[in-house]
Amino acid sequence: MGATFVVTLREAFEASLILGIVYAYLDRMGGRRYYGYVTLGAVVGFLASLALGVTVTLLSGPLVDLGPDLIGLAVIFGAAALLTWHGWWMRQHARQIKGDVQRRLEAALTARRLWVVGLIAFTGVFREGAETVLFLWGLMSQATDTGTWSNVLVGVAGIALAAGLGWAVFRSGRHVSLPRFFAITSVVLLLVAAGLFSTGVGRLQGIGWLPMSEPLWDTSHILNDHGFLGSLFGGLVGYRARPSTPEVVAYLAFVALAGLLVVGPGLARHRRALALAGKRSREHP
Amino acid sequence: MLRRGVLVGALILSVVAGGTPARSADPPEIPLTIENHRFTPEEIMVTAGTSFVLVITNKDATPEEFESHDLRIEKVIPAGKALRLRMPALKKGTYNFIGDFNQSTAKGRIIAE
Repeated sequence: MGATFVVTLREAFEASLILGIVYAYLDRMGGRRYYGYVTLGAVVGFLASLALGVTVTLLSGPLVDLGPDLIGLAVIFGAAALLTWHGWWMRQHARQIKGDVQRRLEAALTARRLWVVGLIAFTGVFREGAETVLFLWGLMSQATDTGTWSNVLVGVAGIALAAGLGWAVFRSGRHVSLPRFFAITSVVLLLVAAGLFSTGVGRLQGIGWLPMSEPLWDTSHILNDHGFLGSLFGGLVGYRARPSTPEVVAYLAFVALAGLLVVGPGLARHRRALALAGKRSREHP
Repeated sequence: MLRRGVLVGALILSVVAGGTPARSADPPEIPLTIENHRFTPEEIMVTAGTSFVLVITNKDATPEEFESHDLRIEKVIPAGKALRLRMPALKKGTYNFIGDFNQSTAKGRIIAE
């Protein structure tokens, strides 16, 4: 039972963390009226998960053998790209924000990019959605007495807790300054995107499109990726106790290159500009 | 958009290492059964350096997910279905796998030597 709770909690939190961050982003950018786009993306992601689960269950053949793998890869690499793009925007925002006056302008800009935010919500849910749907459906089919039905409820409780945590992430986004909000969420999304990218590279090895290789190191004794915390970090930021060389290279290369886009050499200049603006506003209140 | 495509392409190219190991013309098929949320057999012996096909049959009434971090594979096998999983040539070693939907009972390993 504990295992069921942990599985659904982990899978759902990978989605709810992303949703919490994008809702918070809209909230801080004066785009609260655009929440619907995120909700729509998440709902479509859920429906797509159902559809994929049903398709895999009912159909057979080589298309079904490889199809979900290809869809999974497209979603993983697509999500990595979208999150990086979003992180790059936030950096653009951060450079321009000097006060509340800017927020109205930013809302207009945000509106033009709603489809990306909606897509991020979609990939966030769809990525692990099909699996979770099948897992819960399996539990429900097995439920013959109160004992096994309570297992289903435990699974649902895991999802509920994950939703609550996502909500907490969203609310906490209001309690930090705007520059700090951008800084923290940029780093989080960058790590998530890097984890996705290296997971995708690992999957390419798994399906044989990249050659298999030996693990570069083994940190199972420090953090076992089959345990709760280890698999949580595995799902969120791509932690592996025994990563292969391509996975490590992919992760580091992604952080380095995407990090340049998202955090970038402009940071030092930006900090000086903020410090100067702060100094000026103190001199002329 | 183009810049990002080039970026992603460059990243992918930067991790492709060496050539693909040679594949035998007719890879051996190894059956693996899921029954009562357990794998049978729980230990599979294979020859290192030879690719093979794992034929996983799910005899349970509920889906199972064959998952191996070591092999970087996550595949859902619906109830009553059989899945042919083409496995690459493995280096000597032990590769653990689990049934993600029934982790307490469904586990096993592939030993390549």
